[in-house]
Amino acid sequence: MLYTVFADIVPPVVSDGIVYASAMALLASGITLIYMCTKTFNFAHASMATWGLFVVYTGVSLYGGSPYNYLVLAFLFGSLLGIMNYLFVTGPLLRRNASEVTLMMSTLGYELVLLSAVQIYADFLTKVYKLYPRLITMSTYDFQVYGIKASMILSLIIALSILISLHLFLVKTKFGIAIRATVENPDLAKIIGIDAEKVYISSWILGGGLASLGGAVAALVVTGSPYMGWSLIVSMFAASILGGLYSVYGGILGGFVIGLAEYPGLYALSGIMGNWVLAYRPVVPLIIMVIALFIFPRGLAGIPWSTLLKTPPKETLRKAVETLTDKFRKNVKT
Amino acid sequence: MAMLPPLIYLIVYILTQFSIFLIVTLSLNLEVGHTGIPQFGRVIAVIAGAFAVGAVPGRILAYFLGLPFGEEYASTTSNFAIVTAINNLLANNILLAFVYFISSLFLAAVFGGFIGWLTSRPAIRLREAYLGISLLAFGDVFMWFGYNYQPLVGGSTAIAVPDPFAWFPGDRFLFASAVILIFAVLTFIATEMLTRSPFGRTLKMLRDNELTTEVSGKDIVVVRTRSLVIGSAMAAVAGALYVMYVGRCNASAFSRLTWTFWPWAYMMLGGTGSNIGIVLGVLVFIIIRTLITLYRYELSAFLPFDPLWLEYTLAGLAIILIVLFRPYGLIPEKPTPTLPRERIEQFLEESNKERD
Repeated sequence: MLYTVFADIVPPVVSDGIVYASAMALLASGITLIYMCTKTFNFAHASMATWGLFVVYTGVSLYGGSPYNYLVLAFLFGSLLGIMNYLFVTGPLLRRNASEVTLMMSTLGYELVLLSAVQIYADFLTKVYKLYPRLITMSTYDFQVYGIKASMILSLIIALSILISLHLFLVKTKFGIAIRATVENPDLAKIIGIDAEKVYISSWILGGGLASLGGAVAALVVTGSPYMGWSLIVSMFAASILGGLYSVYGGILGGFVIGLAEYPGLYALSGIMGNWVLAYRPVVPLIIMVIALFIFPRGLAGIPWSTLLKTPPKETLRKAVETLTDKFRKNVKT
Repeated sequence: MAMLPPLIYLIVYILTQFSIFLIVTLSLNLEVGHTGIPQFGRVIAVIAGAFAVGAVPGRILAYFLGLPFGEEYASTTSNFAIVTAINNLLANNILLAFVYFISSLFLAAVFGGFIGWLTSRPAIRLREAYLGISLLAFGDVFMWFGYNYQPLVGGSTAIAVPDPFAWFPGDRFLFASAVILIFAVLTFIATEMLTRSPFGRTLKMLRDNELTTEVSGKDIVVVRTRSLVIGSAMAAVAGALYVMYVGRCNASAFSRLTWTFWPWAYMMLGGTGSNIGIVLGVLVFIIIRTLITLYRYELSAFLPFDPLWLEYTLAGLAIILIVLFRPYGLIPEKPTPTLPRERIEQFLEESNKERD
């Protein structure tokens, strides 16, 4: 183990958990962004993430250097995959007013194509460069800063800076406001002259880029293989559903909750319940998702945070609680 | 045992795969094509059937034979010996084998129906994408539970399943394939009758317009629940047949790719909502997949990668092309007449005469 060389200040469970949670936040915010804009639940996120890992892996093993040098390249490659999907699959279907399930299915087709492409590429790497890309441990390329793993600091910085720049993009720029208007009401946005097509394609550019970036970051703690994204996809979906699918911030929050629950949370739980719990790691995000769907059918972003957090007068607080209980009751009844 | 030419074995293999996946895809079509539920968790019901047959009937037989039936039944060291003893018994007792076979299928159907009822609870309150993803997630939970909880069906190692076809003097696999094919044909006929019945038309009305269904006095919740229970029971029977055919129950064999996404691809190729289209879709896909597997080594001579991945490319491209250019599949769904055709023509003639 590499850890024994330096005395770790942060226990590996926590640092790995933070890397994983940051990756989940990036992945879930991508899914949420795409769903908000184009009403497409993107199955292809799985192999887009895997392609992010493979861009970084190819760069590191053929040209050398640190994996962090290739993250921008991974983002760009993911954007390219997103654009291709929009131009050839989702775009034509959106113009035809296809149903949500049809859109979902079409991205599943794209996912299978991308999955086979990644497998073929992995075989190609083995045959031509004598690499073995079916069992990748990216963490060996990681370095340490004063006894803290760089992956933990950098992934947190990446996730937070993306969060802040996304926020600034959506709130301050004209195009960001156009995106929010289209999400709110597509027909009205078209009437005032917003080009919906541009909004849709930019959501796929950003979403695809975030997917590949997230995959590349996740590979720092997860064993990389052509099936990496395929095994992470359920956690990604759970995180984005937990976030509520209607707000990028919700997606980021959901990603952090799921990621932290899967690593440090489960580790803490195993201290109470015994080690057998650790085998059920993939089940954790799903349990959280189910509980969240029962209590908040619209996700974390659907909770009226602004009214709850403002230390409101008693009257407003009572109202907020009433609406919440009302929602809950309706939910139980129907 | 007479040696049969390999071509026959190939055809039998294709027919068996076809039969099992036909049942699964028909059940999927009942829920997706006819009722409009985004069933992305088909694997749940298949697992329910497979695990039920893998875990329960063998233990009951072991109990009556005086063999260990508790946790030791599923342990890798003793499972093989116990099931071999049970198989010896079944091979000499045709009636017992028959009862075992039928009651196992019945058990699987009951388990599957129960799982269908459970999944219908969220299906009533969640919207399209949320529901699809929840079902997908539940499928993974089931698989992980079977994979990690060793006493159920052996965990990460396969558990042997008592063989109801062991008494057959000839080739056991040929006989089993024939039985499974008969079941597939029966399922097809039953589904066709069900979807032509008033209940089937209610399902289609629910799919096309919820409001109309409510206005005409149907309880949406009840209709959806029934569709899910019937569909899940069918899929569970397919899972049970598969497990008994292979003779092993392996939790990791029940992945969402094999038992959810492949059936979706078959269904979309054949035609969502059309039962006869499903038959064609499953047949075409199974034949192509088998041929790719068969010529794997011949193809790999001039391809720089494993040709197995071409299966994925093919399925993905097929889904995309169908969605884009033939959204109703190879054989599109036809409207089901409420009366036989002759009766309708008779009515038309009568009304024409009256007008004259």
